[in-house]
Amino acid sequence: MGFNVSRRHFLGAGTGLAAAAVLTACGSGTPGEPAPEETTGTGGETSGGESAAAAVTIQFWHRTFTPVENEWYANIVKQFNESQSEVKVVGTEVPADAWDQKMKSAQAAGKAPDVYTHPGAIQDGVNAGQLRELNDIVPQEALDEIIDAALPVSAVGDKYYAYPLLLEPQTVLFWNKTMLEAAGLDPEVGPETWDELLEMCAAIKPTLGEGQYCIQPAADAPTFAWSTVGQQYNFAGHTALTDDWTAPNVENPEYAALIEGYKALWDNDYMPKQALAAYVAGNDYGEEKVAFKVSGSWMMSEIGSDFPDLLGRTGVGRFPTAAGSDRTTTTLGNFKWVVDAKTANAEAAGKFLAWSIAGDPANLVPFFVNTQFTKVSVRQSVQDAVADDAAAADAPWSDIVTNEIAPDAISEPMYPWDVSLAVGTAMEAGMKGAQPIDVALKTAADTIAQVIERDGLAEKAPN
Amino acid sequence: MSTTTELISKAEVKRLNKSKYRDTRLAFLMLAPVTIMLGIFVIYPAFQAVYLSFQDWSFYKPPEFVGWRNFTNVLSDPLFFAAIRRGFVFVLMTVPIMLVLAFLFASLVVSVGKKFATTLKVSIYIPTIISGVIASIIFVLIYDYSGGLLNATLANFDVAPIAWIGDPKWALFAIAIPAIWLGMGLTSLIMVAAMVDIPEEFYEAAAMEGANWWQKTLYITIPQMKNVILYLLITGFVASIQQFELPLVMTGGGPLDSTNLPNLFIFNHFRNDITVGYSIAAALLLFVVLGTVSALIFKVLNSEKLVD
Repeated sequence: MGFNVSRRHFLGAGTGLAAAAVLTACGSGTPGEPAPEETTGTGGETSGGESAAAAVTIQFWHRTFTPVENEWYANIVKQFNESQSEVKVVGTEVPADAWDQKMKSAQAAGKAPDVYTHPGAIQDGVNAGQLRELNDIVPQEALDEIIDAALPVSAVGDKYYAYPLLLEPQTVLFWNKTMLEAAGLDPEVGPETWDELLEMCAAIKPTLGEGQYCIQPAADAPTFAWSTVGQQYNFAGHTALTDDWTAPNVENPEYAALIEGYKALWDNDYMPKQALAAYVAGNDYGEEKVAFKVSGSWMMSEIGSDFPDLLGRTGVGRFPTAAGSDRTTTTLGNFKWVVDAKTANAEAAGKFLAWSIAGDPANLVPFFVNTQFTKVSVRQSVQDAVADDAAAADAPWSDIVTNEIAPDAISEPMYPWDVSLAVGTAMEAGMKGAQPIDVALKTAADTIAQVIERDGLAEKAPN
Repeated sequence: MSTTTELISKAEVKRLNKSKYRDTRLAFLMLAPVTIMLGIFVIYPAFQAVYLSFQDWSFYKPPEFVGWRNFTNVLSDPLFFAAIRRGFVFVLMTVPIMLVLAFLFASLVVSVGKKFATTLKVSIYIPTIISGVIASIIFVLIYDYSGGLLNATLANFDVAPIAWIGDPKWALFAIAIPAIWLGMGLTSLIMVAAMVDIPEEFYEAAAMEGANWWQKTLYITIPQMKNVILYLLITGFVASIQQFELPLVMTGGGPLDSTNLPNLFIFNHFRNDITVGYSIAAALLLFVVLGTVSALIFKVLNSEKLVD
C-alpha cells in the first residue's frame, strides 16, 4: 500500500513536470490569452483575524465568460467568504482558451482546484474517477431540486456528481429586424425551415452592402462538432452513433441533406468564406455585418452589454428545421460546478457549492437577470424568482428561449469528442466542397469506427 | 613528441597533472547546474514519458499497463500521419525560403558600410524578439476576411476577398509567412557572422583570377559556410516541424486540419483526451521521426571533414 502511494506520487510529480515543461515550452499559459486572475484574494478581508486563521481554504476555478457573469462569480465568492468564517474560498478566473491546458497541468501535478466549473457530459469524468460524489456533502433536498432535464448532466444512477448552474440552448437563430425589413421581409418572423432560410437569404443578399452577409452560422469543424448535434438530431432523428455505440450512424441521406443546406449557404455566398467572429461571440452581429447569426442563447447577453441599441431590434427564434421535422434543432448546453475527487476538503467544497448555487435563490437571481434571461436555472425556485424580477417584462426573448426552444432540446452527446469532431470535419469538408458529401461522410464513418474500436465504446454505451 | 616529454621533469609532470585535475573538478562543477537541470527537466521526464506511454492513465486512478496499445492507436491513426506529412510540407515551405532570404540579406549586410550594416542587422532581428503570439495576432488582423489589411490592399486591384486562414488551400501558406518572418532574424545574423569569418584573402585571390560574384559565392562563400548552413538546416527543420504557436493562435489547426501541425495535433490530444497515453506515445514517435531526419541530414551533408 505504502509502495503504491509513493509510486503514484512519483508518477504525479514526473508527469506534472513533463506537462509543465511542455506547457512552458509553449509559452506562458495560452498564447494570446491573459494570465489567470484571482477574482477574490480575500486574505485579510475575512472579518475576525482569529477565525480567519482557522478557516479551511479551498480553491475555486471558473472560466472567463461575459463581463456580467464574471462579476457574478467574483461577487458570489466574496459574499460566501463574508457570510461565514469556517471556509475561505479563493476564486480564480481562468481564460476560457487556457482552461483545458491549465486544468490538465494541475491534475497531472495533483493540484486541481477543489471546486471548478464543468461543461458538457459527466460520464467521462465519472469513469475516470475525476469527479467526487456530492450525495454526502450537499444536502439531499438541494440535490432533489434539480429538474429532470438537468439530471443527465448531474447524476449517474442515484449518485450526483455535478450541480448545474444553468442550462442554455446552444443553437439559436438571431436576426436583425432592420435588415430584414430593408429586404421587404417580415421582421418579426424568422425562418421555420431551411428552405425558408435560403429564400430569405436570397431576398436579403441584394440589399447588403460590402462586407455584409446574410448569415454567420458555425463554419469550422470543431464548432460544427458541438453546435450542430441538435441539427443532426433534427434531420436524422438520431446522432452520430447507433444506440448501442457499436457503429457510426452518419452515412445516410439525412446527414447528407443537412450538409447540403450548409453547402447552399456557402455556394451562394450567403455566408462569409471566413468566419467574421467566433460562434460563441456576437460582435459580427453587433456590428451589423450579418442579418442572421447562429449562436447560443447566451449571445443575447452580449448584445445587451455591448450593443444595447440592437437589443430591441433583435429577433430570436429556433434554428430552422428540416422539411417536415418537428424535432428540436439544439442541444442544451450547461455549466456545472463539480468537486474534484482528490480534494482534501470535500466538506468545505460541498458547503461552498451548496451555499452558492444550491441555496438561497436570491444568490442566483442577479446571474440570470444580468445575462438577459437567456439561461435557464435547473431549480424551479430560482426560475420563479427570476420570472418575478421586474426586468423580465422587458425581455420578451426570455419566453422564447425558456418556453419554445429549451423544453424539447436534447442533452449534449455522451460519446467522446473525437466522434463529434469526425462529424464536424465531414460537415466542413462537404460545405466547402473539399470532398463530395458522400465521401466526407464515409471518411467520418471510418474515423468514428476507429474511435469505437480504440475506446471500446460498445462497452461504455449508456443503457 | 617523446623528446619533449623527456625534457619535462617529474615534478613538472606532477604539477601539470594536479593542474589538470583541478581543471577537471572545475569543469564538473560548471557542468553540474546544467546537468542537474537537464536531469530534472529533460532526462527524468523523458524516461517517465516512455514508462507512461505503455499505461492508460487519467491522473485519478492508478495507471493501467496496456502494452503497445497507445502506440498501435497512434500508428493506425491516419490523422497522425497526415499531421507528420503536413509538418514536412511546412518545413519545405519555410526552411529553404528562409535560408535563401537570410543568405541574400547577409550578403547585403557584409557588402555595405558599417553604420548601414548595423541598421540592417537591427531591423532584421526585431521580429525575433517579438513573441510568436503577438505575431500571430498581428497576422490574424492582416488576414481578416472582412476589413483585413491584405484583402483591403488587394481590393484596390479588384481582387475579391480571399479567406487566407479560412480556406484550406491558403491556410498553411498564410501561416508559413509569419514563420519565415519570425525566423529570418536569427538565421540572418548567424549567416552574417559566418560570412565575416571567411578570410578576405580567398576573395582577393578569386578577384585576381577574374571571378565574379556568383563564382565567389558558389566556390568560396557557400563551401566555407557549409557547417553553419548545416546547423541552420537542422535547427530550422526542427523548429519548423515543431511550429505550434502560430497555428494554435491563428487557426486552431483548421480549416479542415490544413494547419494541424504535429505538435498541435499532439497538444490537442493532450488537452482533449481523458487519458494521456495517446499523446505521450505520439510525442515519442514524433521524437523518433525528428531524430531520424536530423541524422539523415547529418549523414547526407557529411560535415565532419570541415569540422576537423
